[in-house]
Amino acid sequence: VKLIPPERVEAIIFAALNNVNDELPEDQRIVVTDATVLFGVDAEIDSLALVSIVVDVESALDREFGLDIALADEDAMDRPVPPFANVQTLKEYILERAEQP
Amino acid sequence: VDHQVGKFTQLRPLQADDAAITLRWRLGRAATLLNRGAQSLEEQETWIRARPASELNFIIETSANTPVGMLSLIDVDHVHRRGEAARFLLGEETAVRGLPIAVEAMKLLYFLAFDQLGLRRVYGTVAEDNHRMLKWQRYLGMQVEGRLRKHVLLNGHFQDLIAVGILEPEFREIALPRMNGLIALAGMPPGKPRE
Repeated sequence: VKLIPPERVEAIIFAALNNVNDELPEDQRIVVTDATVLFGVDAEIDSLALVSIVVDVESALDREFGLDIALADEDAMDRPVPPFANVQTLKEYILERAEQP
Repeated sequence: VDHQVGKFTQLRPLQADDAAITLRWRLGRAATLLNRGAQSLEEQETWIRARPASELNFIIETSANTPVGMLSLIDVDHVHRRGEAARFLLGEETAVRGLPIAVEAMKLLYFLAFDQLGLRRVYGTVAEDNHRMLKWQRYLGMQVEGRLRKHVLLNGHFQDLIAVGILEPEFREIALPRMNGLIALAGMPPGKPRE
């Protein structure tokens, strides 16, 4: 079981979103908040950007906390609320997965 | 092999009638890290008509038949059973937001290559500045196989080309589960149980 500060998880997700923003023109940049929609209806990013976020977040969790989780696996699909609905749901999903033995 | 149909997207053959829209995409921001293509409608139409039989060039459409990009399998070699994934471009950026169009388009291309054409290997190159594409291809199973140093002049400077490739078993074991995961995640309604 890994104890990870929620604010650190949020910072990791924000950093991944900012990496996406770095490659977008100024008028297309995403507003980064905990309500930013990541995928599905109303999302502001495409699946290339989503993969970029998945890779950056997974890498940071492994690097900083030794947490090796696949964010887009079957466990993610079995949840009642999609983990990638927005930043908040992704943060909650990561914290829940981190608490699993 | 002409048409490949998925849940969110479909691939249909590139035609001369697509010259205007594909030229617009090729001249747009999303194509700045691709090789320089045609600069006029006439050149683009000529280029499309001149595609050889060793290439399968597709328009990526949404499930509502809206063209949003292009993708090709070129240099298909039935002796060595390999082909190059190339010219991957999403031209209609707003139309593909929130949808796994890119992921499913690549999945359809791999099914075409490995299942229908019987290839053993798909390969490609990515410009070193194209960080997002490189990250994307690696996540979806492509292995980095090499680097062609200062091989192309793109975006005002000479860049390395990163050589990537995927073998058929890697597609089944690495790429396909991740592709299916991303496609399934996109199909989940927000805040509601998945059907």
